[in-house]
Amino acid sequence: MTATLPLAGRGRRFVATLIDAILVPVVAILLMLVTGVLEHASDWSESAMPFARMFGLGLASYILLNLWLLWSRGQTLGKAIMGIAIVLAKTGVKAPLWRLFIRGLFFPTLYLIVLVPFIALIPAIDQVLIFRRDRRCIHDWVCGTAVVRRDGAA
Amino acid sequence: MRKTVAGIIAAVVLALSGGVASAADCPSRPGLKTFASDAWGIDARNTRFQPKTTISAANVGQLRLEWVYGLSTDTPRSYPLVTEDTIFAGDQGNGLVALNRKSGCTRWTFAHGGAIGTAILHQTQRGRTTLFFNDRYPSHMFAVNAADGTLRWQHAAPGDNPVAMLSGTPLIDGGRMFVPLSSIEVGLAVNPFYGCCTTSGGMAAVDLRDGHQLWHRRSIPAQPKVVGHHFLFVEESAPSGAPVWGPPTYDAASGTVFFGTGQNYSRPTTATSDSIFAVNAQDGSVRWIHQFHQNDAYNTACDLSAGHPNCPKPTGPDLDFGAPPILAHAQDGHTLLIAGEKSGMVYALDPHDGHIVWTRQAGRGGALGGVHWGMAVNEALGLLFVPVSDVDAGRLTGQGQAHAGLYAYDIATGTPRWSHVRTARCPDRPCSPGLSAAIIAGPDLVFAGSLDGKLEALDAKSGKLLWSYDAWRDYPNTVNGKAAKGGAFDAHGPLLAGDQMIVSSGYGTFGERGGNALLVFELPPEKTP
Repeated sequence: MTATLPLAGRGRRFVATLIDAILVPVVAILLMLVTGVLEHASDWSESAMPFARMFGLGLASYILLNLWLLWSRGQTLGKAIMGIAIVLAKTGVKAPLWRLFIRGLFFPTLYLIVLVPFIALIPAIDQVLIFRRDRRCIHDWVCGTAVVRRDGAA
Repeated sequence: MRKTVAGIIAAVVLALSGGVASAADCPSRPGLKTFASDAWGIDARNTRFQPKTTISAANVGQLRLEWVYGLSTDTPRSYPLVTEDTIFAGDQGNGLVALNRKSGCTRWTFAHGGAIGTAILHQTQRGRTTLFFNDRYPSHMFAVNAADGTLRWQHAAPGDNPVAMLSGTPLIDGGRMFVPLSSIEVGLAVNPFYGCCTTSGGMAAVDLRDGHQLWHRRSIPAQPKVVGHHFLFVEESAPSGAPVWGPPTYDAASGTVFFGTGQNYSRPTTATSDSIFAVNAQDGSVRWIHQFHQNDAYNTACDLSAGHPNCPKPTGPDLDFGAPPILAHAQDGHTLLIAGEKSGMVYALDPHDGHIVWTRQAGRGGALGGVHWGMAVNEALGLLFVPVSDVDAGRLTGQGQAHAGLYAYDIATGTPRWSHVRTARCPDRPCSPGLSAAIIAGPDLVFAGSLDGKLEALDAKSGKLLWSYDAWRDYPNTVNGKAAKGGAFDAHGPLLAGDQMIVSSGYGTFGERGGNALLVFELPPEKTP
């Protein structure tokens, strides 16, 4: 497994995730400001599905921030800043985009830890698995990925 | 064989999970011959005077808690309807329940997860009784078969407000229902990226057969326009607000619907906020409007910070008419429209043209009252009863000393008759002695529930305290097996019906003590000699 590249440290992964978790809502708020999709009363009506709009803003923000980096280098912005990348666990090569997309679906669950404490256990368990020896969380196992140091440093 | 095993497993799971009727249930049809009330205010004039009660000053001392029903919310906000053998109660999160009046067991449940926020109303046509209630938000109107709890129809809120809130209880007259309209926009404004504000309160009439709109009267006739921007992109709009929080009042003789409005949400303000409206019941056309406070603009963004981009500047005092006006007959033969305001002011108006006959300052007032949910009258005694909250509302508290308590005035002149001043019983923790909840009057007494969890009965003539009950406690044994907790009395307040007094205890919306206890008090059976 990832024989050629060392696994990313837990600290780097935590900081990278923290950067992403902060940047995505910031960009989502800017998108909300520019597009005005939640600015008017009609946007908050039941039929307008305001919570779907909020999710859509978050998704658009995530894609805007990360799509090119994920496609070209297997990195989110946070991971790029921290010098780590997502690779296929078995081969160590850059993970294909469709796997990264599935992996990205786990990202919004991070906010559940803060926003919905009652069901926080589910994403919390996902994150806690970082303390396994192979440092692979549930989302890594589902997508067959691992996170490695891109500069090859130990 | 596999099917048999699966069937046995399914039956066991169903039984264990409560999917079958529990022992407390008593599936049965409710009696629908007599109703203790016809409106939120007992009658269409919103007198909150209940003649159909045997509870009196002479026997109120014998009133005992008979049973408790554990509601599914800590902030109950529905007012029950009582027949000869059944209590229909809104149990937010569970549904509309029909409870046996004597035992409290459940006859039927209209399972419904919405936020039932109104009194339960009724109408019988061609021998078929229908119950009506509204969800606050998402705002929907419901008509339910009273016999078995099946849905007749449901309909979205009338009017043109995409975020309408159905908070005030409607009023039924014949085949139509007058529906007060408020808005969640007062809360949406806390989002600084929300373009505050564009919606108007109002009143609508709907057809009781299917809920379709007959007419709609905006409390702000003008359509909103963009009046500014912040953060470069976010549009600020006005006029807006003037919501109708309380039930309408109806004068059958003149065919007039009366209702009060709240403040504007943005500036510039209008001449229709903090006002009493009189409109034609046939088409909603305005007969007169009397505004009591100009330039009152406020929304909940101001609670976060006065500097919030959506907080109107200058910030108004938020002085709604939350309580409905009472159409009261004075002993001198005149009829007055008496309106109590969150400012603590009470106004008696001529219902024909809205001119002021008399005014009284009952409390110091504030954003949570003053007069908050509802007053009552006893026309035989010529008395108006005014509950005063005067709870501390931070920056939006009125000037001067609090006057929490119950005050009686002469209906005709506003002359003070007696007062029952309440003092804090728990100075070491946040609890107010104020009377925010609506009150109810019987032939010779008045019932009021306080924010500090006490229920009191006062002599109507003198204001003497006759009976008191402290609901600030736990109720582990309830008729439906759901543990209950008592708390602040707020919102719709107590209901008198025959030998019973029914009230929900607990209300956590504004930091008071929440609770989920539907309390049913009853006189003991009369002893035969």
